[in-house]
Amino acid sequence: MTTVLHEVAPTAAGGSGFETLPSIVMRRAREMGTTTAMREKHLGRWRTHTWEDYERRLVDIARGLHGLGVEPGDRVAVHSDNRPEWLFADMAIQALRAICVGIYPTSPSAEVEYLLNHSEAKVLLAEDEEQVDKVMAVRGNLPHLRKVVVIDTRGIDMADDLLMSLEELEAMGRSSDLDVAASAAASQPEDAAIIVYTSGTTGPPKGAMLSHRNLQAAAEASGEVFAVDPRAEVLSYLPLCHITERLVSCIDAVATGYVVNFGEGGETFTQDLREVQPTFFLGVPRVWEKMMAAITIRMEDAGALKRANYRFWMRTGAKVARKRWTTGKVRGIDKLTYGLGWLFLYRPLREKLGMSRIKGVLSGAAPIAPQVLEFFWTIGVPVREGYGQTENTAQATVTPPDDIRLGKVGKPLAGTEVKIAPDGEILTRGPGTFLGYFKDPQATAETIDAEGWLHTGDVGELDEDGFLTITDRKKDIIITAGGKNVSPSEIENMLKVSPFVKEAMVIGDQRPYLTALIGIELDTVSNWALHHRIGFTTYADLASKEEVVALIGTVVNEVNEQLAQVETIKRYALLPKELDEEDGEVTATQKVKRRAVEAEYRQQIEEMYR
Amino acid sequence: MAGTNLLEVRDLTLRFGGVTALSRVDFDVRHEELFAVIGPNGAGKTSIFNCLSGVYHPQEGSIRLDGADLLGQRPSKIAGLGVGRTFQNLGLFVHLDVIDNLLLGRHHLMRSGFLSGALWVGRTKREEKAHRHAVEQVVDLLELSSHRHSPVGMLPYGVQKRIELGRALCMEPKLLLLDEPVAGMNLEETEDMARFIIDIRERLGTSMILVEHDMHMVMDLADRVMALDFGSPIATGSPAEVQSDPRVIEAYLGGAA
Repeated sequence: MTTVLHEVAPTAAGGSGFETLPSIVMRRAREMGTTTAMREKHLGRWRTHTWEDYERRLVDIARGLHGLGVEPGDRVAVHSDNRPEWLFADMAIQALRAICVGIYPTSPSAEVEYLLNHSEAKVLLAEDEEQVDKVMAVRGNLPHLRKVVVIDTRGIDMADDLLMSLEELEAMGRSSDLDVAASAAASQPEDAAIIVYTSGTTGPPKGAMLSHRNLQAAAEASGEVFAVDPRAEVLSYLPLCHITERLVSCIDAVATGYVVNFGEGGETFTQDLREVQPTFFLGVPRVWEKMMAAITIRMEDAGALKRANYRFWMRTGAKVARKRWTTGKVRGIDKLTYGLGWLFLYRPLREKLGMSRIKGVLSGAAPIAPQVLEFFWTIGVPVREGYGQTENTAQATVTPPDDIRLGKVGKPLAGTEVKIAPDGEILTRGPGTFLGYFKDPQATAETIDAEGWLHTGDVGELDEDGFLTITDRKKDIIITAGGKNVSPSEIENMLKVSPFVKEAMVIGDQRPYLTALIGIELDTVSNWALHHRIGFTTYADLASKEEVVALIGTVVNEVNEQLAQVETIKRYALLPKELDEEDGEVTATQKVKRRAVEAEYRQQIEEMYR
Repeated sequence: MAGTNLLEVRDLTLRFGGVTALSRVDFDVRHEELFAVIGPNGAGKTSIFNCLSGVYHPQEGSIRLDGADLLGQRPSKIAGLGVGRTFQNLGLFVHLDVIDNLLLGRHHLMRSGFLSGALWVGRTKREEKAHRHAVEQVVDLLELSSHRHSPVGMLPYGVQKRIELGRALCMEPKLLLLDEPVAGMNLEETEDMARFIIDIRERLGTSMILVEHDMHMVMDLADRVMALDFGSPIATGSPAEVQSDPRVIEAYLGGAA
């Protein structure tokens, strides 16, 4: 049987230094086949997948998908939590020169429908009963979908014609002789490899197309920034459809050849981290804030001696950390005190957090608060900030290893240019610039200008040393009735430093003063309530307690003291529930959808201006 | 298998002295069925469970599970025949961790003796591995992985109830008796528990008898319902049938409303 794929010469890319990720996987299978590529916690035990396994699964799945009629350029969607099969499928899809579309595991049925229809995906890989239920609920509205391949079939009636297990697909693949290596090698640098749907805080998601060249450029740049080698270990935990986790777990993992660990996820994240003790870790501010809150709360409950030890060494360490930021190194006496602190606090704390082997640490996706940054540097976890977005394959700036400047996200990466437009918008240009939005030339034209500059939608400043500061999203900037420009996210992040605050949204566009809607952190506030003998039943009940409102009031006052008069929060209200993706209040990456929340809580907002 | 009878209870009568706790109770539970027993307080729901698990010895009637006679058997023997249960008030070992509590559920399946257990050789080692594997399947099903090594007493009530359910599942029962699995739980915990019960039925195909006061839960989950009043069955059928049965309404509301 002749197929389009067979006719392509295997050396199409030949010698240009261009190699697609699936081709690299197959090369690694030959060069270091029995080395561990992934580890996965399955039924309480860690099991390994070697590079040979990686290749075998990739090839079987690619052949199986080809058997289902997937052709070059077709889209195939993956709807699953992080697990090895996600990456096997991603690589298999790319090897077929088809395009992989990731769907957030938390996406509700309606969004699954939108994404499958917009991407016109022929095949969907759905993880389990939960994800299969979502697609089956809308199956009548999916004209392009031919097959749903199920990874974990437990509890699912597989008799349905639309469904097929991954096992069956791979078995089908094993009886095919499609030359997958040749197909992968025939990819062109400018072919789309993946589509990443950006979870827009406004409007429907847009599908950013990233080419093989984008991925390769990202692999090269991040390999340098992460400073990883094949012995590195990472934990895969952020959603894989998001570009940052894809970078860590797939793009750079394949390019560098290090080990990716898949824990049990969800509530088990903390334990996963402790077991894996990764050498490189990429976190988002929310993760850092949670870790810090967990430690501070535990310390409050600890005995007097423990507490004193903690306070003393945190204070001492913070001084050393600040010196490291400004001078780049630690000298004589500081080294000694730090060494003692290491013995008494930092080392055990790092062990608890799963950071004992850590060498490289990055924070991205949103600005991290200075207090949080200081906390981690104090205990010897040198968190650096990176800035980027899907549309530039997360390639823009990164903090240099020993030149930390608070509030700045570092300098442009090698090969990437960054400049500020006259209206303050940050523009980037480089090999990471995406191909465009799928089926949306207008949005693409609005994003990439004639000179190839990508308009990031963020407003910021570059200083004389080339360090970038991000003020806010362009469309989020508040202009008060008095005509003052205020960046809400800066204030929100200050509020969110408090362990009691999970969510904060500052309001004040075209209003006389600023107000805030604040969502409490259930764990910490309920713990606080317990200590203060305040009984409560539900989240809503807790958030309506006078004492809790007053508690948040002290947080707001503390933040106000650090702000200019026009930026202070004059009134605030507590949200009666946690913001939820299914209610359309936050995106899959937990970013607040301002307009939706404003509409939902109109009454509370209006009351603050009465 | 589905559709045929797993459990057949005929003419079950239980007396304590002059008090008749159960009187001529008749019902069947089919393979893979979720059968609910409802009734006002003191109607005899828990008594049925205690008869089924061998704690009480009824004076009359018969109980057959897959053809085997359960009547008059010791509780340990009945557990071995495939009846697992959870308790209204938790019966866990609070100082042991979750895994150990679950492993206890497999006690009757363990074969190696005291000596080989102490020496930790050959068969014992293999056996323990197999049991750990079985326990992990339950950890996975009931999403207990983040609690594996926590002492049970430290965990929230809702999680403890789930662990108890897990321990019963570790017995690999043919028939699972659930005694008020959501009593004292908040709404979220109740919904979680309902989801786990559905998962158990779909993934393991275990037949279950559910005694529960939460009528929403019973009506949502059960395939068939039996209503009891003063120890006698007054109606058996689909949730809708039983719910609209005038005798059931009367038993609950105490006379014509």
